[in-house]
Amino acid sequence: MTDVLQLFVAGVSIGAIYAMAAIGFVLLWQTSNTINFAQGEFVVLPAFLMVLFWTVFRLPFAAALLATLVVSTLLLGLLVKAVLVERLLKMGVLPLVIATIGLSMLIRYSLQQFWTPLALPFPALFSRAPIRVGEVIFTREELMNVLFAALVIGALQLAIRRTKLGWAMQAVAQNRNLAAVLGINVSRLVGLTFMLNAALTAVAAILVAPVYLVKYDIGIGIGLKAFYAAIIGGFNQIRGALLGGLLVGLVETYSAAYISNQFRDAFALIMLIGVLLLKPEGLWGIKEEWM
Amino acid sequence: MALLEVHDIHAGYGKMEILHGVTLKVEPGQIVSIIGPNGAGKSTVFKTIFGLLPVQQGRVLFAGEEVTNRSPEVLLRRGMTFVPQGRNVFPLMTVEENLLLGAYIRKRSPELLAEVERVYETFPILREKRKDRAGDLSGGQQQMLEMGRSLLLQPRLILLDEPTLGLAPLVFKEIFRIIEGLRKRGQTILMVEQNAAKALEISDYAYVLELGKNRYEGSGEAIRNDGRVKRLYLGR
Repeated sequence: MTDVLQLFVAGVSIGAIYAMAAIGFVLLWQTSNTINFAQGEFVVLPAFLMVLFWTVFRLPFAAALLATLVVSTLLLGLLVKAVLVERLLKMGVLPLVIATIGLSMLIRYSLQQFWTPLALPFPALFSRAPIRVGEVIFTREELMNVLFAALVIGALQLAIRRTKLGWAMQAVAQNRNLAAVLGINVSRLVGLTFMLNAALTAVAAILVAPVYLVKYDIGIGIGLKAFYAAIIGGFNQIRGALLGGLLVGLVETYSAAYISNQFRDAFALIMLIGVLLLKPEGLWGIKEEWM
Repeated sequence: MALLEVHDIHAGYGKMEILHGVTLKVEPGQIVSIIGPNGAGKSTVFKTIFGLLPVQQGRVLFAGEEVTNRSPEVLLRRGMTFVPQGRNVFPLMTVEENLLLGAYIRKRSPELLAEVERVYETFPILREKRKDRAGDLSGGQQQMLEMGRSLLLQPRLILLDEPTLGLAPLVFKEIFRIIEGLRKRGQTILMVEQNAAKALEISDYAYVLELGKNRYEGSGEAIRNDGRVKRLYLGR
């Protein structure tokens, strides 16, 4: 029983990170019909930036964090929106999707070629000292990951429900033509969503880096799992991406522990196929009519 | 002075020109209809006036001021609202949230909330359903929501595109009753309506478009009784 609980904490901890990347995925899809297959690299690049600012330039932690957030929102937010999305979306969703696949390779192999093919150590943000609650032992790191992710996601959810900008975002997601008719500047809002997504993946990067180490190709796994998570939970709902992220984290952790560590990645995929067969709109998504 | 003046506008999608010179005028307090066969460019006129499609040639004046190629936001601020064709709501948001988004360009204020109350008085069904998802409303109720939303900014002019498209006959009558009610309040409306005969009945003035150009114009009464228009467009 203690195993089950302990693994639960570990699963939620990694799942919370997937959830953040998945939420970014959903936001991009909703406001701009972008399926970003570079989402994994959107997590990797900030991790490398953090290494650069923190361990190479030796900035203090807070400054390095801030610099990482700013540079990634500019690069992966504004620049990607201006250079790729603005130009390609006019031609339809598919060219843009292909372009994001290209972008993912560009980022991944540039990091490998021009930086390092090796795994860089990333200093632990939180102590890994065990914390004991009754029989269950977990680390401060796991706890803080969950807490941090919950804080970020909670704040985001609140902002989307309560602020005017959040309403505008929902409006663009649900009917972009109408949003324009009501005076919402859709293009500016899409730019903002890209920046928001970049900020989310940067936070995910900083949480995931100490767990996975920083290596040019870790984005493949993270990106795929964020994609699974978004589909499993429901591509049109933030809450769906949250649920999906946690489920993927849990399934992966439990199956690695109880079934096979080698096949850990397969189980999330099996869950994805199951959901697509039985409830294609996702566990917590909403059926959409396509017009 | 005319409230809206459209002078010889040319516009379309990309390189494809749809409007080859359309001219029209709306005086304050009038209901003006645009009629014409499918493909005449009626909806394109609205999108072009409202800054959703670029004007390639010609001018648009609103209350005497140049608004050619200005953004929807500018037009909304000057007092023009647009109810596009088809069911246009934010389906997952509540009726009240949908209404409030009609005043997105404004700050949330007590006056705005009073205006929401006024819309509820005009459309009591919206008050009843204000916590429901807009996507769950019937077609007629959605149309009322759209019209209510367009009233929220107390516009000087409403562009109304096909308000009764796809609605059941009973609902159709209801919508027309509402439009007439608005007219009694002095609301200026420029509309496109598929049921041209009915639209002409309540119109002060009407323009007949064909293939992106003005064809005929005259008072609603005159156009309704014009033999050529009758034969060509009214199917009688």
